[in-house]
Amino acid sequence: MIRMVKIFLSSSLCFYLLFGVSQSVLAAKVTLDSSSWGLEEGKACVDCHAKSSSGLTHQWKNSAHAQANVNCLDCHQAYEDDADSMEHEGSIIATIVSPKDCGRCHETELKQQQGSVHTKAVDIIKNRMPALAEHFGSLSINDAGCAKCHGSEVKVKGDGTLDSTTWPNSGIGRINPDGSKGSCSACHGRHQFSKAQAREPAACTFCHSGPDSPDKAVYETSKHGMMYEAHKSEMNMGSDSWVAGKDYSAAPTCVSCHMGAAGKMKSTHDVGMRDSWNLNEGVSTQQYLVIFEDGEKRELSTSDPVPRRGESINKMDGSMGKVKAVAFPKRRRGAMTKVCLECHSKNFAKNAMLQFDNVVELYNEKYGKPAQAIMQALYSENLLTPLPFDEPLEITYWKLWHSGGTRARHGAAMASPSNTWEGMAEVGSLFYGKFLTQVREVAGAEKAEKLIKQHINGSEHHEWLNNPNKANPILGYGKGSTNEN
Amino acid sequence: MKINDFLPDFITRHVLFALIFGGVCGIGFILFLIEFDHYTSTEEFCTSCHSMELAAEPYRQSTHYNPQSGVRASCGDCHVSEGVLSATWDHFMGSKDLYKQLFGPDYDDPVVNALHLPEAAFDARKWFKKRNSATCKKCHVKDAINGYRPDTLQIHQEDAKDKTCIECHYNLVHRKIPDEKTFKRDKWNAMIEEEFGLEKGSAKKILEQQD
Repeated sequence: MIRMVKIFLSSSLCFYLLFGVSQSVLAAKVTLDSSSWGLEEGKACVDCHAKSSSGLTHQWKNSAHAQANVNCLDCHQAYEDDADSMEHEGSIIATIVSPKDCGRCHETELKQQQGSVHTKAVDIIKNRMPALAEHFGSLSINDAGCAKCHGSEVKVKGDGTLDSTTWPNSGIGRINPDGSKGSCSACHGRHQFSKAQAREPAACTFCHSGPDSPDKAVYETSKHGMMYEAHKSEMNMGSDSWVAGKDYSAAPTCVSCHMGAAGKMKSTHDVGMRDSWNLNEGVSTQQYLVIFEDGEKRELSTSDPVPRRGESINKMDGSMGKVKAVAFPKRRRGAMTKVCLECHSKNFAKNAMLQFDNVVELYNEKYGKPAQAIMQALYSENLLTPLPFDEPLEITYWKLWHSGGTRARHGAAMASPSNTWEGMAEVGSLFYGKFLTQVREVAGAEKAEKLIKQHINGSEHHEWLNNPNKANPILGYGKGSTNEN
Repeated sequence: MKINDFLPDFITRHVLFALIFGGVCGIGFILFLIEFDHYTSTEEFCTSCHSMELAAEPYRQSTHYNPQSGVRASCGDCHVSEGVLSATWDHFMGSKDLYKQLFGPDYDDPVVNALHLPEAAFDARKWFKKRNSATCKKCHVKDAINGYRPDTLQIHQEDAKDKTCIECHYNLVHRKIPDEKTFKRDKWNAMIEEEFGLEKGSAKKILEQQD
């Protein structure tokens, strides 16, 4: 009985967290009293900066901040003891305005953002990064590439300056000198911090583009992207309230589905909350969102046991945390679907999601799982060195799941037919054309055949290989023969 | 006619000789001070202590050493006041550096030097502030500062109207050191330890030993 109550409480909490039904659909308003900002000392900054850096001052002058009398020092003020504090023209300031600083006024957004998948952007690639950045580049690639999106761990040197390898940086998961994670300016370009600009797809595709996360190409070749391109002027981007179906209906942007308000569901700065699948691994799994009592969150695969409310489990950083609530994939899917329903029927949305799920499962079963199993077998039998990317097969496997596989799955998620197909075709070409050949080279004929038999031959997905005589003219078979003439 | 006829009675011949001798000595002394101040303000003299050579290294990379105009500022141009009396006073006060060089911590050791540098910088900044950045103003005239930006002159005339050079322009010549208010000793020590490949915590021990 108690368990039932707990489940009920836990699921109601999830419902609240995901849909926020009892809250206003408007973006959270700053509740702090206006006497808390507009510091007198900060007004002098503007005079000088209008001359010394007129561009940024101009941006600020056009911002909602300027209209509300929020000046430079309100955001840049620091205490002497702060790790990155410095003296500047008589004031104690910090260059970096962290989410914690923004959260002094924007409490709701901070609460949503802290613990979100975006704040884990550094942790997520911690294991991958050394292999990718260092083997394919060097640390400077990390500083100017990886960390520009994922975030750097900003280091303050003993002389008070910011370490040039870690700053400037506005990566979404930046680890700030004050310990907070993230960077609001990743999406809200400084110093205007325009909400209209942050609602643009470009705010997201700045990072979500290219093979790692091909969402720019995917969105642009989706019906949603097509409609957006044609009806940009009808998007009402600058509106205070920006509820799908109410304040705009021309097209959804990334923000609309992943964090936007729709119907009674309010907007959220926890961007990953509505994602039911993990699409950025060799094999996709559906995922729980575990919410800890301190507000911290982590994703957990459905192949892991479901954590119970009150249970202590590992957080992303390795420390222990008490589980406050668990959002199941179905619930997360439900939240995402709420946005669809502003323009589509329930069945339309449900079937679109099913088509997406089917592609992910196809990828998993046909390529993702067998390829992963073969790689694991080769590693465990020392037929591959543990070092990543020093063997051609490893590069092929990486491109298979990471480039093609990601493209196909993201394509299906956001209804871009060309990317879904071309991504899957890339996976297939690599799998049959290169991967299996290289497995044979690495493992030797006998061992390779055993692996292929074990992981591929029995599968219905690869049955077509058993009919070598099934002719098709696509590659020229039969063309120019007497039969055709 | 004797010279005594033109002088009061108390100026005897001995007194006269004493006056002339004293006067010549006095002039000689002033000339000596001028030369002394001049010589002891040179980079050559200052860096004759190895510890000062360490301070001079970053100076030689700075625009005060390598200005486009070719007008090089030497140690004394910034750190010694104008006028023979003030200059002599500064050198007199500066002799405490000599005392510390001889009897204080081993400033010739780059680690010890770097660990003590912040306090030296704070003192130097106070010195500039107290004198209203007088030595800067020997060359720099606020009304004539035309920088690369079109607004540099305006900033100096309007926004920096009531400010003295050192309030904004520090960390120009020597090693970068935070303002005293935001200086964090443990962070500084850690940086020096890393720079010289020392064990963690050793900087603190070095400072304690030296004091």
